[in-house]
Amino acid sequence: MENTIKVERAILNLTQDELAKRIGVSRQTINSIEANRYVPSTVLALKLYAVFNKPVNDFFKLSEGD
Amino acid sequence: MNLKKINECERSRLERWSQFQLSHKWKRIGIIVCLVAFGILTSLKFMEGEFLVHRFVLRRALLIGLLIISLSKDRIEDEMIVSIRAKSFTLAFVLAVLYALIQPLVNALVFYIMDSKDISNSFSYFQVLAFMLLIQIMFFEVLKRNR
Repeated sequence: MENTIKVERAILNLTQDELAKRIGVSRQTINSIEANRYVPSTVLALKLYAVFNKPVNDFFKLSEGD
Repeated sequence: MNLKKINECERSRLERWSQFQLSHKWKRIGIIVCLVAFGILTSLKFMEGEFLVHRFVLRRALLIGLLIISLSKDRIEDEMIVSIRAKSFTLAFVLAVLYALIQPLVNALVFYIMDSKDISNSFSYFQVLAFMLLIQIMFFEVLKRNR
């Protein structure tokens, strides 16, 4: 799974900490998601959708191995 | 009560139990209990006397302290922490089983190498439980640091 959370966050001019607070996770979790080390749950993906106001598949993409 | 209701009741009860956790402040209490119990247990080693009852109580206090640390929530308990915790429990469980299987073999090996007169092929449940809880806490902290 690949994502463009970092780009979406930059568009909204949000820091990792601010985004983390908005969706109720730790800053390290946002960092891990951005680095593709952690695949978030559907709940978290929908919370990100609410922040970015874009469909989930705009910022999450399946990679070849998935 | 029909079978469906029994299944539903069973599932909801199990889910409630599996989600049981202590609040973050308990972590500090657990650490204090462990340190105090470990400190007294160590000092008993250097004192004369058997102290069987004291050891018995302190070992349980140490296990309870470790369990409290293990069950207490992180400051921000998000889904990634839950996943890391689950991984650490799995690793600790597997390693504890391996430890229980390998430990008697190591004892036997030491017996043959050292040509010891007394072979001890048993170990206490305290050893296994303390090992499992310590491994869980250690893996949890390591995985959390490297997330």
